[in-house]
Amino acid sequence: MNVEASYSGNIAVASVSGRVDSANAKDFDKALRDIIDRGVTGLVVDCNDLRYMSSAGLRVLLIAIRKTNAAGGGLAMCRVPDHIREVLEVSGFVRLTSIHDSAEAASASFSS
Amino acid sequence: MEVRHDWDVAIDGAEPRRVAEEFEEIALAQGVPMGIVFKFQLALDEILTNVVSYAFAGRDAAQAVVRVNARFGAAGVSAVILDNGLPFNPLQDAATPDMELSAEDRQIGGLGIHLTRSFVHSVSYERTDGWNRLSLAQPLQAHTEEETA
Repeated sequence: MNVEASYSGNIAVASVSGRVDSANAKDFDKALRDIIDRGVTGLVVDCNDLRYMSSAGLRVLLIAIRKTNAAGGGLAMCRVPDHIREVLEVSGFVRLTSIHDSAEAASASFSS
Repeated sequence: MEVRHDWDVAIDGAEPRRVAEEFEEIALAQGVPMGIVFKFQLALDEILTNVVSYAFAGRDAAQAVVRVNARFGAAGVSAVILDNGLPFNPLQDAATPDMELSAEDRQIGGLGIHLTRSFVHSVSYERTDGWNRLSLAQPLQAHTEEETA
């Protein structure tokens, strides 16, 4: 698992790659917290290179959704592979976040 | 031809990933479709994560036995997860998360079992002679019908 972030004002795009499971969910959590703690209110999670995510990753996303919601922004996702999208659907996370085709579209969702 | 693979699992947070990734490798080599491989390994990962995290809480880890027996055949994929830890029936004892709640009100637990039940065709549990025995079975045919329905 690796997370790379780019920033534009109070919006950040976090590109997560590899595998997120119970063995490294703490690292994923720390990476997203560090990004949000830089004053980010709108967090885009780019899943283009995300291969696998279990419920341990969902828990981390839920915490990030709460934090960004509380900051007046939110969390949006983009380029989500079909099998990961099914995890989000079955777990009801599609109600808690929005899913977009590109990082640009996800970022734009915060200004509307 | 049926292929079998068994794992002895240590009480260690790194173990669910090891088993899930090895399961993936074997299943793909046996020609199991990627969609099924992903869902089944996620279920294995979720169940084993629960077992290594909670089944032996307050117990002597030296006495702990966790075993996975997997079968790969033309008819489908199955796995039995056995452990001699605390009695736990995930089909009854795990709360089902309420999907209607907001992010602020959603409970953090229960998602792993919910994903397991949603992603694998048959999930059953029995407790016998001090052993938790969770069985997962995914017929290949059922998946195909579901995909084309």
